[in-house]
Amino acid sequence: MNNNLEHLKKEYMETPIPEELDFMVRKSLMEGMKTMKKNARGRKIGVIAATAAAVIVVFTAGINISPAFASTMSKIPVIGNVVKVLTFKEYVYNDGNHNADIKVPSIEGLENKDLQNSLNEKYLTENKKLYEEFEAGMEEMKKNGDGHLGVDSGYEIKTDTDKILSVGRYVVNTVGSSSTTMKYDTIDKENEILITLPSLFKDASYIDVISENIKEQMLEQKKEDDNKTYWVEGIENEGITERFEKISAEQNFYITSEGKLVISFDKYEVAPGYMGIAEFEIPTDVISDILVSSEYIK
Amino acid sequence: MDKKNIDEQIAEYVLKYKENHYRLAYSYVKNADDALDIVQESVYKAICSKDTLKDPSYLKTWFYRILVNTSIDFIRKNRKTEVMDEEILTNIDSGTADNYENFDLKKALNNLPDNYRAVVVLRYFEDLKFEEIAEVLNENVNTVKTRLYKSLKTLRIEMEDYEEV
Repeated sequence: MNNNLEHLKKEYMETPIPEELDFMVRKSLMEGMKTMKKNARGRKIGVIAATAAAVIVVFTAGINISPAFASTMSKIPVIGNVVKVLTFKEYVYNDGNHNADIKVPSIEGLENKDLQNSLNEKYLTENKKLYEEFEAGMEEMKKNGDGHLGVDSGYEIKTDTDKILSVGRYVVNTVGSSSTTMKYDTIDKENEILITLPSLFKDASYIDVISENIKEQMLEQKKEDDNKTYWVEGIENEGITERFEKISAEQNFYITSEGKLVISFDKYEVAPGYMGIAEFEIPTDVISDILVSSEYIK
Repeated sequence: MDKKNIDEQIAEYVLKYKENHYRLAYSYVKNADDALDIVQESVYKAICSKDTLKDPSYLKTWFYRILVNTSIDFIRKNRKTEVMDEEILTNIDSGTADNYENFDLKKALNNLPDNYRAVVVLRYFEDLKFEEIAEVLNENVNTVKTRLYKSLKTLRIEMEDYEEV
C-alpha cells in the first residue's frame, strides 16, 4: 500500500506546472492589493471629509503599508526585466471649495534598488509636502473667509522604450488662476542609471548652445503664429522685465522615444499663462558636437 | 505593522508554494486552465480577505481552505459530471482491466469523491497534519480520519481487485 501511495505521490508531484503560473500568481496579488487600496480609499474618504487632520493619518498609513508590499514583490525575480511606473497611492479630498487629487507614482522593477528607492522616496516626500501645503492653505483660507483651492498632482509617462523611461510629474495649483509645474526623471533602463542633463554633455557649454537654440525657436514660433509669444528678447511684451536668458544647468528635460532631447519650461516660466507649459525639442545636429555619446540622443 | 506583515507573508507564501497550490487545484478540476483560474482566484481572495486571518501562523491552513473552497465552488458552477455520493463510493469500479498499474491507481484516486480524495492528497502528498486537514476542510478530526481510512480502503480494494485479475 505504501509503495502504491509512493507511486501516487510521485505521479501527483509530476503534475505539469504551466509556465504562466508564476505570472498569474503575481498578477492576482497585484489585483488584490489594488482592490484593497481602492476599498480602503473609498472607506476613508468619508472620514477625511469630516476631519482634515485624518488625511495625514491615511497618508502615512498608506506609505507604511505599500512599500512593504512593493519590496516583497520585488524580492522575487520577475520574468524578464519589467521596469514600470505604477500609481503608488492616490489621495483625494473634495469638499466643494477645496479639492486635492494627488497621485504618487512609483517606479518598480529596477535592479538598482538605491536608484529606485531614492526616486520613489522623492516622489513620496514631494507629494506629502504638497498635501501638507494644501492642508495648511485650506486652514488659512477658512480663517480668512473662504475661497477656492485646488491641487491636482499626477504623472505621465513621456517615453517608455527598451532603453529609456521618462516620467513627468505635474502639479496644478488652483487659487483663482492655476499654475502648473512639471518635473521629469529619465532613467536608462538597461544600465539602471538616472540621466541628468549635465551627464549628457561633455562640458557646461550645452547651457548656452541649447539656450540660443530655444531663443531662435521662440522667435520662429512667434513669426509663424502671432498668437504665440514668449518672454524673450526680440518679442515685445509690455511690462515684462524678466526675459528668458538661458536654461538652468538642471533644466527640466526628457528624451523622446525617437531619441530627441526636449527641454521643458513650467507655466509662467518663459511665457504668459495661456501658453501653458512650453516645450522645445532641440534638433540633435545642434548639440551633437558636445554630446558625450549618441547613446541616448540620436 | 501587523497589516504590513500579513500582506508580505501572504505574498511570500503564495509565491513560494504556488506549485503545491496548483497541483491541489488540478486534483480537483483535472485541467490546467481551470486549475490556473482557481489558483489566481484564491490568491486574489486571500489578499482581499486577509482580515479573516487572525493569526499568521495559520496562514497555511487558512490558504488551503480558501483554495479548497474555491475549487469546490468552481466545480459546482461548472459541473460537467455528477459528483458521486458515499453510496456510489462503495460501488466504484475501476473499469476494464488495464495494463498500466499506476494509471489505474491514479484513476481510482480520481474517482474518489472530492472530500475523500482531498484527505488523501492533503495527508500524504501535501503532508498536512490531521488537525490541519480538519481545519482546511472544516470538519472535525475524527471525520477526517474516518474518510482517510475509507479512502485508503477503497483504493486498496480496487488494487486488490486489480491484482486478482
